[in-house]
Amino acid sequence: MSAFLETRQLGRTFGGLKAVDDVSMAIEQGELVGLIGPNGAGKTTLFNLISGFTTPTSGEVLLKGERIDGLTPHDIARRGIGRTFQNLRIFPNISVFDNVTVGAIGHENIGLGSIFPWQKAKSDRITHKSFEALEAVGLLADADDLAANISYGKRKYLEIARALAMQPDLLILDEPAAGLNETETRHLADFIRRLHREGRTIILIEHDMRLVMSICQRVIVLASGRKICDGTPERVQQDAGVLEAYLGVDE
Amino acid sequence: MNASDTTSRRWLWTGLILTGLFVIVPLLLSLAGRSYFYQIANTIMIFALLAASMHLVTGVAGLLQLGHAAFYGIGGYGAALLATHFKLSFAATIPLAGLMAALIAFLVAVPTMRLVSIYFAVATLGIGQMLHVITLNWVAVTKGPNGILLFGGMKLFDIDFSKPVPAYYLVAVIVAACVYVIHRLSHSYYGNALRALREDDQCADAMGINTPRLKLESFTVSGFFAGVAGALWAHTAGYISPADFNFNVSILILSMVVLGGLGSLPGSILGAIILIGLPEVLREFKAGDFRNIIIGVVLFGVILFQPRGLIGEVSALDFIRNQFGLGRKARSDGKQMRVGWL
Repeated sequence: MSAFLETRQLGRTFGGLKAVDDVSMAIEQGELVGLIGPNGAGKTTLFNLISGFTTPTSGEVLLKGERIDGLTPHDIARRGIGRTFQNLRIFPNISVFDNVTVGAIGHENIGLGSIFPWQKAKSDRITHKSFEALEAVGLLADADDLAANISYGKRKYLEIARALAMQPDLLILDEPAAGLNETETRHLADFIRRLHREGRTIILIEHDMRLVMSICQRVIVLASGRKICDGTPERVQQDAGVLEAYLGVDE
Repeated sequence: MNASDTTSRRWLWTGLILTGLFVIVPLLLSLAGRSYFYQIANTIMIFALLAASMHLVTGVAGLLQLGHAAFYGIGGYGAALLATHFKLSFAATIPLAGLMAALIAFLVAVPTMRLVSIYFAVATLGIGQMLHVITLNWVAVTKGPNGILLFGGMKLFDIDFSKPVPAYYLVAVIVAACVYVIHRLSHSYYGNALRALREDDQCADAMGINTPRLKLESFTVSGFFAGVAGALWAHTAGYISPADFNFNVSILILSMVVLGGLGSLPGSILGAIILIGLPEVLREFKAGDFRNIIIGVVLFGVILFQPRGLIGEVSALDFIRNQFGLGRKARSDGKQMRVGWL
């Protein structure tokens, strides 16, 4: 059986720079995997390759055994990959609830025909899923506020709720703890654990080493675009190559 | 607030709008008793449709459209040529004019959809100018600057709609039906998808929204309704010329949308009423050349003090959700609200 998400010799060059270089990895269903690496290691590029924002220059991406590299981001999203963004991309001038509906709308693939009464079941499902997602992150009380007017911490959860409304099989969180204080980060850790317990497959890109080491079962380390380590948090913390990548080499 | 309460409120508002459009305004017009006033009323309704159609593409989907008059013009010339050259009945020319405008909008949209923000705006500007130049210079078909006279009148099932009162009702029915469709598109999850691509189209794409298709659809639909407006203009005015569809008209429609509130359907209609009505009111008061200055000051003042427009998008959506009961009821922490769409 093939893995849930798999990359095979995945590579992407920008000019002469190998942003992602020959990365092969496999994520099994139900796993919570951390992806770490120093700044500029290619984490976000790897994410963008998986979600279709960037097309690979070499290699393949497979979701449930089917190739998804080269598809548009919306096709990949509809096949079940939901994501958040490193630098928080919410829709500021619409309400919190309307933000979340966008994930559900994408999943339902609504079109011009949605104005006809016989399409009402679709919009009922969108409403239902959006309520569910907002409830899961605890933002129901803010539902009719403009997204621009809620606090930074809440916006982080809003972004996750929007991704949950897509009913994704795989959730990719790009630095969800960035900008959060310690208490908020602990909350977030509990929340991600809960999502994982509910059976979701999650990839977590993070700078916050403690968060990754405390909640992930497996950690993949990237450095200069290459995968340098893949294993349990304990193994990764003792790996000489990882220490070298993070702390530099002694002459 | 229970369900029957919101239903009755929806009927109250719908009733108010329809009574205003089909009873009160015609009554006032007949009291004034001048056919010129009917013409102003028709112009206001036609521009309300133009503003509403631009609202969909510019206000909701966020594509700055600087050439809307082109599709208005295609509808106008399309209807006039179909009626004069091919002797098509006036009833047939209205949907056909809309379809012609929609087809051209579609063809324009395919290559330009990849363009973003200001580049897209300049591309639409180019289309507007191109059409204007074509109508001016393709004399064999368009009669150039002389324009086209429509002799046929507006006959439907042997009833003549050319007289002021029937013409008013005809325009009112068609405009109301078109605005209703635009309302359904903007105030639904389809509208939410369009708003998402206005806010951040890359992000919307990552949520599974097919952004190129949505842009194409909204631009084409908007073109269709502009075409219908053009056909109504050609028939009610009885004469069209290139000057009716030049760049100034595109800017006038854009001003209506911005004045009323980008993303606000009631706002764009209010914008059309003000920017067509105000000059006529000022004319009655013999304001003479000061008219344009006064209109400029009004626009300037609104943008300065009310940058989101007279009826901003947020208040417009709140109004539709609460007064028309089109939102879903939600409760949390004792707070009652209406969110999403029915």
